[in-house]
Amino acid sequence: MIREDIKKKICGLVGAENVLDSDLDRFGYSYDASFVPLLPAKKPDLVVRPATTEEVSKIMAVAYEHTIPVTPRGAASGRTGGSIPVQGGISMSLERMMKIIELDLKNMMVWAEAGLRTIDLYNACAAKGLFYPPDPASWKFSTIGGNVAENAGGMRAVKYGVTSDYVMGLEVVLSDGTVLKTGGKAIKNVTGYNLTSLFTGSEGTLGIITKVLLRVIPMPEKRGTLQLMFRTLDEGCETIHRMLQSGLVPAAAELMDRFCLEAVAKHRKTELDQAIGACIIIEIDDDDDEGLAMQTKRIEAVAQDCGVYRFRVAQSKQESDDLWAVRRGLSSAIASLVPNRIGEDISVPRDAFPEVVRRISSIALKHKLTIAVYGHAGDGNIHPSILCDLSKPGEEERVNNAVSEIFEAALAVGGTLSGEHGIGITKKPYITKALGEAGVKALKAVKLALDPKGILNPGKIW
Amino acid sequence: MSKDALDRLLWEAKKIVGRCDRCGTCLPACPLFEAKNVEASGARGKNVIARALAEGGLDPTPEMLAKVNFCLLCRACVDTCPGGIATDEAMINVRQYLVNKTGDRNAKYRVIGGFLKSRALVRLAATTLALLRKGGLNGLFPHGMVPEEYTRAHFLAAFSGPAALGEKAPPSDVALTAATRVAYFQGCGMRMMFPEAAAQTLEILKTSTNPQVKDNFCCGLPHLAHGLRDEFLELARKNIRIYQDADVVVCDCASCGGTLKHLASYFPCDPRWKDRSAAFSGKVMDLTEYLAKTGYEPRRKLDTTFTYHDPCHLGRGQGINIQPRELLRAAGKFVEMKEADVCCGGAGSFHLDYPGIASRILDKKRVNIEKTGAAIVVTGCPGCLIQLAKAAKAGGGKFKAMHISQVI
Repeated sequence: MIREDIKKKICGLVGAENVLDSDLDRFGYSYDASFVPLLPAKKPDLVVRPATTEEVSKIMAVAYEHTIPVTPRGAASGRTGGSIPVQGGISMSLERMMKIIELDLKNMMVWAEAGLRTIDLYNACAAKGLFYPPDPASWKFSTIGGNVAENAGGMRAVKYGVTSDYVMGLEVVLSDGTVLKTGGKAIKNVTGYNLTSLFTGSEGTLGIITKVLLRVIPMPEKRGTLQLMFRTLDEGCETIHRMLQSGLVPAAAELMDRFCLEAVAKHRKTELDQAIGACIIIEIDDDDDEGLAMQTKRIEAVAQDCGVYRFRVAQSKQESDDLWAVRRGLSSAIASLVPNRIGEDISVPRDAFPEVVRRISSIALKHKLTIAVYGHAGDGNIHPSILCDLSKPGEEERVNNAVSEIFEAALAVGGTLSGEHGIGITKKPYITKALGEAGVKALKAVKLALDPKGILNPGKIW
Repeated sequence: MSKDALDRLLWEAKKIVGRCDRCGTCLPACPLFEAKNVEASGARGKNVIARALAEGGLDPTPEMLAKVNFCLLCRACVDTCPGGIATDEAMINVRQYLVNKTGDRNAKYRVIGGFLKSRALVRLAATTLALLRKGGLNGLFPHGMVPEEYTRAHFLAAFSGPAALGEKAPPSDVALTAATRVAYFQGCGMRMMFPEAAAQTLEILKTSTNPQVKDNFCCGLPHLAHGLRDEFLELARKNIRIYQDADVVVCDCASCGGTLKHLASYFPCDPRWKDRSAAFSGKVMDLTEYLAKTGYEPRRKLDTTFTYHDPCHLGRGQGINIQPRELLRAAGKFVEMKEADVCCGGAGSFHLDYPGIASRILDKKRVNIEKTGAAIVVTGCPGCLIQLAKAAKAGGGKFKAMHISQVI
């Protein structure tokens, strides 16, 4: 519990209307988009909604003085419990900090506040002919601060990389309220440790990111969408390998297995062709229509070699939006079919994609579970989704065992626990297996140095 | 309401919200989340509250009722949700549950609901409002309780040029379908607030049929939405009986139409009324839907620019988007506005309960209307029309707000 006099002080800092302490309002800040059970609710004692870095800094100074846990929060669209205030204290919701501070056209960089939605950042850049590529499935509602704190990936990673590939600098409020600036607009910068990289993906455990400096690139002139249907998943994976090896790099290459396609068909009340076992949706971009047509032709040739069953080129923006909407809404569409969906986020070397998918299939068989598989085939990031009903006796144990085995499978082929969702709460038990004792010890040493009182997003990562 | 019936309501709500995986897709779609930007004000927040209530993690309290009352029932979230989760249905169920559980907390809605249940009172109010308007006293009432009505006569006078003044509009040459028995359903909003528009609806119907005019009851949506389900069901049964001998029931109010088309789902355990209500719902048509089917041609084409606001209960509620636009194209020039299908903030009595938030939502709508340069914003719901009339006033006369039957 936070003492009344401290609450009063915080109200004085940000205005009483930006401090929420009613039971139901606090409940609203007790969950995110992960499968961490809703109940018992992990309510913060107080929700604070600052509007400026200065306010964040002053709140942190108070929290530091009284050793109050603080969990930063964007849109709570995370998939691993990162913004859940497991130890109560303050939920620091940055949703009011949503300004674009500077769009520097000459240097092609943008300074934005952490609470800005990623889509708004994208659109502001696009209006000036600039392109911010990272596009996590949640980009229409997640915040850029959350994307940086989780080092979010997305569909375009195969060609354009992930969030950290665009972060040039940060403004971070440290646990005692100190405001730190890292990086800057200089492209080459080896002055001191690379703190920008350190805070990117730190899941709110090292500091509160209040502003981000991102580099952007020229917007591709033309985009196209292709839909490739295969009889088997292996044929799909093989197509992507051969494409990449022959220098054909799509902006995105998303793979969905038969189960996913059935889920989509069910939602859209359509029938799925029995022969189809997998689908890949590809985005290509180029300078002009001719370039797009050339890429399409080459991709089609590769796909034909690999036995593609159906090859479809989206003929309009509407058609391509439709194809992508299917993919973006997939996890939630699948989730709505069953009482519980345990979604994972393993990432493996690209060539191990078919192998790890095979292993996942046998894990599903062994534990009598349905596991839908989809993911970013172009970069080796897979989202196996275990569809289950945890209220059934024995189901939870079987699910837990399956999750452990999925992680083991990922590690066995040289992969890792998480590609883009972070560790948060849900993957904590497996961190030592992935990083080793020495790895976890190093993380803890960094944490202790930057957050000696352990008040920033406690109870996460390990 | 019996304990079993109450438990069933909560179970129904849980079946809906239990499928929400909290992804957040609905957040930017929800007009209230945009206006207030606090988790509990958005669709996700309210769904999760409902789920926690159903799973025993939260207690039913007046605070919770206030949270679930803060919903426009506009279905914008339902449309955008990858799982198609029907937040509006869940909210209606949870409101009912909470009203029963927390006692007589929804006293205000009980008064409004009781009023609307009585045909005599609704008629009386219509007369009173007409008098107020006539005497110029409508400005005395807060929040557009008595909206200004811009009539078809005004419209023709302003937009058809001086030669047309006083001239009767030429009749449409739509063939009469003699066998079909067409009846008109006059909602309370049309009756009380926009009698002139309702009269135009009848005029339009008379061009192709001899419409039956019934002394119908309120559609019951205000009751259903605020935890007065028994009253809603009673009204539904009365209306079904009243329209027994009609083949088509035409409605010029999006909310009434949307409600009447969905009656069957509210009689799940009553086989007799389930079938009767399903049969009744099958007969209900929105005015524009009916006109599109009969091939209606607007009475005249004028050199006027229209834009159109989609009522939530017509666009998302009934899937009717094209018909009104086609009619407007035939009646003048048509310009699409940005976010035409975003709620205007009216939402039944929402604008009376939360005037501040509703006017913030409306301001955005007004700007979108003004950007089109249209002279008239048209809609098909008296609830929206109240709001749009306010927007027209706030816009200082840049545009007028009218019901579709006044301009076609």
